[in-house]
Amino acid sequence: MVQYCRPRDLSDALERLEEANGRGRVLVGGTDLLVHVRRQPTEPVVLIDIKTASDLPPAVEITDELVRFGPTAVMSSLAVDPQLRAWFPALVDASAVVGSVAIRNRASLIGNICNASPACDTAPALLVHDARVTILSQDGTRSMPLTDFFLAPGRTACASGELVIALDVPIPANGFRSGFQRLTRRRGVDLATVSAAAGVTDRGVVTLGLGAVAPTPLLTAESAPIDCADADQVAAVVDELTAVANPISDVRAGREYRLAMTRVLAKRAVLAAAQIEEAS
Amino acid sequence: MSTNEVAPTNHLSDHQVTLEVNEQAVVLNVPAHRTLLDGLRDELCLTGTKKCCADGECGACTVFLDGVLVNSCLVLCVETEGQSVTTIEGLSTNGLSDLQEEFLNSGAVQCGVCIPGQVVAAEGLLRTNPHASATEIRDAMAGNLCRCAGYERIVQAIQVAAGRRVEIT
Amino acid sequence: MSAANDARAMGAPVIRYGGAERVSGTQRYLSDIEFPDAAHVAFTTLPIGCASIESIDTTPATTMPGVIGAFTAADLPAPMPRFGISHKDRSVIADGVVNFHGEPVVAVVAESPDLARIAADAVIVEWTELAGVYDLDSALADGARLVQDAALRTDDHKHSNVLETADYAWGDLDEQQRETAHVVENTYEFPMVTHFTIEPGGVVAAPTDDGGIEVHSPVQHPYLLQRILADVVGLPLSKVRVIAPDPGGGFGGKQTPRYEPLMAVLAQRTQRTCRLILSLEETFQLMRRSGCRVDARTGFRDDGTVTFHELRADFHIGAYADVAPRVMTKGSYVGAGPYRIPAVRVHARAVLTNTTPSCAFRGFGAPQVGWATESQIDAGARLLGIDALEMRRRNLVDLDEAFIRGDHEARADGRWHQSLERAAELIGWGEELPEGRGRGIAVGIKPGATSGLSQSLVRLLYDGSAIAYAGTSDMGQGARTLWKQILADELGVDLDRISIVSGDTTAVPFDLQTSASRSTVFMGNAVLEACRDIRQRVLDLYAEATDISIDSLEAAPGELSTPSGTLSLIEAAQVGLGSLRGEIIGQGTSRLRGVKGHPLGGDAAFYEFNATAIEVEVDRETGEVLLTKHVTVGDVGTELNPLQVVAQDEGAAIMGLGHSLMEQVLLDEHGCIRNLGALDYRIPTFNDVAVEMISDSIENHDGPGPYGCKGISEGALLCTAGAVGAAVADAIGTPVRQLPLTAERIWHAMQSANAEQPTN
Repeated sequence: MVQYCRPRDLSDALERLEEANGRGRVLVGGTDLLVHVRRQPTEPVVLIDIKTASDLPPAVEITDELVRFGPTAVMSSLAVDPQLRAWFPALVDASAVVGSVAIRNRASLIGNICNASPACDTAPALLVHDARVTILSQDGTRSMPLTDFFLAPGRTACASGELVIALDVPIPANGFRSGFQRLTRRRGVDLATVSAAAGVTDRGVVTLGLGAVAPTPLLTAESAPIDCADADQVAAVVDELTAVANPISDVRAGREYRLAMTRVLAKRAVLAAAQIEEAS
Repeated sequence: MSTNEVAPTNHLSDHQVTLEVNEQAVVLNVPAHRTLLDGLRDELCLTGTKKCCADGECGACTVFLDGVLVNSCLVLCVETEGQSVTTIEGLSTNGLSDLQEEFLNSGAVQCGVCIPGQVVAAEGLLRTNPHASATEIRDAMAGNLCRCAGYERIVQAIQVAAGRRVEIT
Repeated sequence: MSAANDARAMGAPVIRYGGAERVSGTQRYLSDIEFPDAAHVAFTTLPIGCASIESIDTTPATTMPGVIGAFTAADLPAPMPRFGISHKDRSVIADGVVNFHGEPVVAVVAESPDLARIAADAVIVEWTELAGVYDLDSALADGARLVQDAALRTDDHKHSNVLETADYAWGDLDEQQRETAHVVENTYEFPMVTHFTIEPGGVVAAPTDDGGIEVHSPVQHPYLLQRILADVVGLPLSKVRVIAPDPGGGFGGKQTPRYEPLMAVLAQRTQRTCRLILSLEETFQLMRRSGCRVDARTGFRDDGTVTFHELRADFHIGAYADVAPRVMTKGSYVGAGPYRIPAVRVHARAVLTNTTPSCAFRGFGAPQVGWATESQIDAGARLLGIDALEMRRRNLVDLDEAFIRGDHEARADGRWHQSLERAAELIGWGEELPEGRGRGIAVGIKPGATSGLSQSLVRLLYDGSAIAYAGTSDMGQGARTLWKQILADELGVDLDRISIVSGDTTAVPFDLQTSASRSTVFMGNAVLEACRDIRQRVLDLYAEATDISIDSLEAAPGELSTPSGTLSLIEAAQVGLGSLRGEIIGQGTSRLRGVKGHPLGGDAAFYEFNATAIEVEVDRETGEVLLTKHVTVGDVGTELNPLQVVAQDEGAAIMGLGHSLMEQVLLDEHGCIRNLGALDYRIPTFNDVAVEMISDSIENHDGPGPYGCKGISEGALLCTAGAVGAAVADAIGTPVRQLPLTAERIWHAMQSANAEQPTN
């Protein structure tokens, strides 16, 4: 049983969420949510469509320090902005492989995060870019790092009466670069078997964001500075950082393969971030 | 022993939605869960838009929503208030388009169920990237499955149609 | 002016009949057709592969306003009506037991599709899980639960899950073994895969005023459906009308009845038009290809010639027979491939399991066994250090040479070496490859139809237009385009003045089925004969009308020669018909009788032969395969329509990449399909096709069909797996014997190979 409402503004949206009493689902792109709704036709759910809320933040807002994505920022809008590509190559690459063209035209970046799939394509990149989430509730707004946002598969820190209104991604310091790698079962449109994003600072400090290797997307610790042109150093750092990966076996792949691929993709993401061609 | 018991449900209440479909204003009275795909097919009898996976994975239901390609199975009718939709029927009002002709000339059409979605997706591609390379065509069309696997033929059709458009402009 | 006067339509790239409707969205598939006042049907199913049904409470559904009824086994006559092709084993609705995940337990009829769905979900079923058998090992284990009640079976194996066996043998295998120095022995696996037609399944059934039944179903075999419906509901054929809208993809999946008998019963009980449109998930539970495990032992001489080949093939067929026993029989018949092998022993079994009943699927058993045989040839090549192409050159039979010996031998009906050589040439066989790449070549063979009956009527109308009635289902192969081409050439009628009628048992004469790539040959010959019948009738009528002696007239394609000159057949017909006008009706029949005692029921009308060559690049770290080149060459006889030949050939080839690289139905421990739906069942996309793809044909005009054609629609899928497997093995240095060759499997194979050879 599906109900639908289109709140006038964000405070109206919060009221609707409150009224829905835990059954409210914020609807933006719907590319994940509506798949779920079709599969659970008898589950009572109230879809709260905030796309036309009058005081919604703009899809993309750029300040001196950060880029703020609103709920209506869709995947396809990321790929076309050269400035975003220069700052967040991993994020743009990740957003460009979410679903198909038609999906990317509709799928919301914030929606992708709120869906909290362990295999979420954009999460690893957002994690290495230190993204923060802004959550609105009747009590006002609160903000948290994306690392704290993911709690479990399908579950986030955004409580039932709350909604995510912004995703802030800091403009990286000079010399910081990111890279993204993903493994799928086929070459066309697919869900990730494993994904990895790497951030590398100008000093060679590496962090990794990992997808589909744990109940939530993971951000690893920072490495000691390394020379990314040195294959041994890269391999050592990848081994050290990916030790947190703890994947399951499922319909897409087995645990052993996922573990091995985490290391391969992490290495490749580091090299992509450092813009180093791997010797074959 | 197990049972398959599920929670009882309330009956469905309708929403009134006003939108434009193929340049005509239409009013739909639909329950909230009615997808744009089902609305087009069942309420408006626009059956050129096809239903296969209903999960946004196959592309058979591709339409333009406010000029942008979407999977109509992943859009609700109620979301489209005030928006404009163009379906395969809307692309076929003045006889066959150049793309549709080239689909036929290239042998791209076999069973044909995926073809309306393929044509709409290809039209969307050529509008945004008139000089698409074969690789770009494959990337852009990868969300449109064809089980008869006319992929090579469709790429050829799009390339020829693109060439015809570039010649004209 | 007639088409025959300028250019022949045959052999030309004539555009697909119904193409304009398909590109503009006006083609009406079943779910697009309006049925005013139809009631809608949804099924209650259980989330389990095998269970006994303890109780069913339909009242939560039937008390909903707008629900017309909820029907269970108790609403059907006892004993439960059962139906099937070779085995009448499938109950109309689940009868006390659910035998596979998705088998309907209750059918709810309601005023809207939404309501039917909600009401079907509201039905309460109490059930107990049974010890279902979901794979070959558990089905064949001692004490395994029998999928089918032995009391309902009459066959020799009824106390086991083996439904049927097939054995083929020739030569002295023991002696050959003794004399053979090199033997390779391996086990190969082929996955369960599903057809994934873009048009999901559906049926509409309606009672007729005269007490009959009308069933709309996009089936490949309308006349078979008519026969089975008549049997189940107890009506004469004349009161059972099957209307078959063009299938939106068939590939073998839409041949046999499944839910049509139930829908007919619902229509009779409710006296309403009952409409069922399945989801893609439900369609997965309607059709699949049989999985297969093959143990193979093959002997080779030093020079690579095969001395013996022994196969034990177990087909994992599912809960009901459907046509799977024949898939097993026919697939294993050509199990030894198109080779010259002195001694062969094939033992194949169709094994029942609590899974989706498997059915025909492009290739019909040949791809499963071919995967093993082609891989064995490559295993021999690696063992002996002989080139894989050379291995095939040395073993492939020549024209008219027997490749199946024994009581019912089969001889090569084509110059198959030409296809092999062409494929090798097009892939650049022997050219050096960069590191990480590999190449493979394979051949495939499949018997065409072994009996058949196609009847056709053609009407040449007074104004020079024509209508052909031909029961072939046009599911994408473009059959009607060919009939148009035949009429255009044979009668001299313009292509755009020809209509084709099919898909209605009331209007169209009998056609056995649309399967086994038969239609171009069988129905093609029937249509051709009907056209020639018309020509003869025109000649006779012209003679009668003009008093010119029959002996001085001669009919030829599109024209009639008379003593005073040649006139078009249409003009001649108009003269003959005279002022009363009317029309000329021609009839054609194409019949191939079976052969008693033949394991396939008869000799194949033709063999489909294909050679496929593939080049891949394997990512050594991830196991991912990139297809760099894919060549397919079919032995087609004659290309009647090059556009359609290349489309079918490429389509089959790409479909073959599915089971080779990514497709597999996965089950959980309760027999439920884990990847039920498009999200996790992956089929090839635009990006999964080879970087370079070449489809080519060998034309020797040596087929039994019109103008020397053969059936062509399955060939390119027969040996895709063999070629991909060989290419991957070439690239990574070790073979993978389990399909699909996922990146994960290839990675594991590389890991194992590395572990075995630490110095490497």
